[in-house]
Amino acid sequence: MYRYDEFDHAFVRERVEQYRDQVDRRVSGEITEDQFKPLRLMNGVYLQLHAYMLRVAVPYGTLSSTQMRRLAHIARVYDRGYGHFTTRQNIQYNWPKLVDTPKILEELAEVEMHAIQTSGNCIRNVTADHFAGVAADEVADPRPYAEILRQWSSVHPEFSFLPRKFKIAVTGAERDRAAIQTHDIGLHLKKNDAGELGFAVYIGGGQGRTPMVAKLIREFLPESELLSYTTAILRVYNLFGRRDNKYKARIKILVHETGTEELTAQIEAEWEKLRAGELALPDADIAAITSYFAIPDLPERSEGWALLAAEKKRDAQFAAWVQQNVTAHKNPDYGVVTISLKPIGGIPGDASDVQMDLIADIAEAYSQDEIRVTHEQNLVLPHVALADLKAVYDQLAGAELATANNNLITDIIACPGLDYCALANARSIPVAQEISNRFGSAERQLEIGELKIKISGCINACGHHHVGHIGILGVEKKGAELYQITLGGSADNETSIGEIVGRGFEPEKITDAIETVVDTYLGLRTSPEETFIQAYRRVGAQPFKTALYGEPAKAA
Amino acid sequence: MTEVKVWTEQGFVANDPWQIVEFQDELPEGDVIVPLEAFVALSDEQRHGVGLEPGRNTRRIGVLISPDDEPETIADMLGQIALVAIDFPKFSDGRGFSHAAMLREQLGYGGEIRAVGDVLIDQIPLMRRVGFDSFSVKSATTLKRLEEGRPGGISLHYQPTAKDAQAGQGYSWRRRSA
Repeated sequence: MYRYDEFDHAFVRERVEQYRDQVDRRVSGEITEDQFKPLRLMNGVYLQLHAYMLRVAVPYGTLSSTQMRRLAHIARVYDRGYGHFTTRQNIQYNWPKLVDTPKILEELAEVEMHAIQTSGNCIRNVTADHFAGVAADEVADPRPYAEILRQWSSVHPEFSFLPRKFKIAVTGAERDRAAIQTHDIGLHLKKNDAGELGFAVYIGGGQGRTPMVAKLIREFLPESELLSYTTAILRVYNLFGRRDNKYKARIKILVHETGTEELTAQIEAEWEKLRAGELALPDADIAAITSYFAIPDLPERSEGWALLAAEKKRDAQFAAWVQQNVTAHKNPDYGVVTISLKPIGGIPGDASDVQMDLIADIAEAYSQDEIRVTHEQNLVLPHVALADLKAVYDQLAGAELATANNNLITDIIACPGLDYCALANARSIPVAQEISNRFGSAERQLEIGELKIKISGCINACGHHHVGHIGILGVEKKGAELYQITLGGSADNETSIGEIVGRGFEPEKITDAIETVVDTYLGLRTSPEETFIQAYRRVGAQPFKTALYGEPAKAA
Repeated sequence: MTEVKVWTEQGFVANDPWQIVEFQDELPEGDVIVPLEAFVALSDEQRHGVGLEPGRNTRRIGVLISPDDEPETIADMLGQIALVAIDFPKFSDGRGFSHAAMLREQLGYGGEIRAVGDVLIDQIPLMRRVGFDSFSVKSATTLKRLEEGRPGGISLHYQPTAKDAQAGQGYSWRRRSA
């Protein structure tokens, strides 16, 4: 894991003091809410429906046990005993007092954390594959590059007042687990024919009211050019991104309106002027940052193979959990554990202070002190010996953290919706809870297989409904909530935007509608191996529309 | 009328000579800043003659760059321009930051770059880093802070910019301001 050096510590301390002064000026009335807003946003402080909300950065989703304990402490002391892990691999608190926020940031700084640029029209927290460093299908760990980007983008003087927010994601594996094609910049770490590391560069992906899949603008960018090329993209965006309409201000609209080829030419021209400058990354610096992310020395634990087999035989529930929530590690004596924050009927992504403390303890004892936050609102223990899986499972199970539903129908992404969010038009959490309860049976979930449901309470799509295999969008019509269904979205290597199937459903009918969609899939799949998304791509939307709305009327 | 003062790292400027004029048919006395479009429309004589010959009581002409402008338009003329003012009609419009950075880094402009418009205390440290060196300020809070000698900002930076700074500890991209 990256460790702050003196420079980082001093920087974050200075930033906390700067923010404290900004809060003081707001509280004393010296600056207006309008002037304060961009300042607080750049420190992750939102004004929500009921209260202020604080969004804390978890850069590329990597946490230590010490950091997780501090998050639990903040939930306990400054909030109502819980925090909410988000699709940006962050955590947010829903009930802090504005006057407490400088103190919270000070406490975070003590454990090398901050809330810098978790909001606002600037470069946001950089996200990455949550299995980075341990995934068996990885070319290289993307986190060193995410860390370099985190540093470079922190309080960047030229890019702190962009037309809109700007999100960067990095992956280093064959299989994209970071949804890079739904980001403003998506970087896919790869090796060229000469064996050198570099990136495929995508730009202009995003969701919201105009969802778009990112465009590949460069097949291979040498790693040394990461900052010069990113600067060129940001500079072109800052100068030419639309500012007349906030809904058309993201870079995806610029790509769309300018044309990929023309915009790429502008970016490349700007890059030519920049690349000889000070932003070239020296090999020694890349190596130094990379050394922080070296896989820890994992002792040989080959006894785990036999132990695990025996335990699985003894305990079917444990076996199901291993099957669903444990993924292959680079080291065959180890596994990567996904901790589900989606208990049946629970609130997706929420964790209590007690749960956070427990996970910190387990990570310290069994996972080299390391935890990850996933963009699917779960947590990960990246280095658990197979021999220790049962002990980890038992502890997690005692705290409602061992639901064996990773990638299954109840592993739902949901935004906070109308229960918390000032932007939302409809609730998301109760919909997620009801679907989770309806499909809660373990047997039924396994029968259905991999299926991603994603729910947003408004068009801004924080719940990623556009890229859900089944997406649900809450809208408001004549004062009542209505839920639209989209089908066929996906956020993997073959990213696609889901299609709206028809008119929306009332809150009390949406779960039935989802069940209809699922039953239709079960009826038409060629075999249990054909997943929902594969089946959908084969047959298209029509069978689902027919099941939901009846036979289409004959053309006149 | 709102008080407007010009501030630089050396403090407030007494009797700042510059005035921004909107219309250029008949330029008033003194040093004037004209919009980029108007500047381009001036005759060579107007642009070159003024203020260059010692002893002649003529004025200097500066250029005002708006967010929509492209400073490359005046790339060939920058050698004769004593001051470029960059307008921030709204503090939230960050295009002026890129304009200043490009004037310094790519177009090699060495004269004064001044921020005008909605210039607030929290933006000034960022503006200084991308190459601004004077600030036309009307916000009461900003004036008060500057008068108190508290321009704000952080001394440690994670990226090189137009403004010279010492290398920061650790990695090539870090910088430290004096």
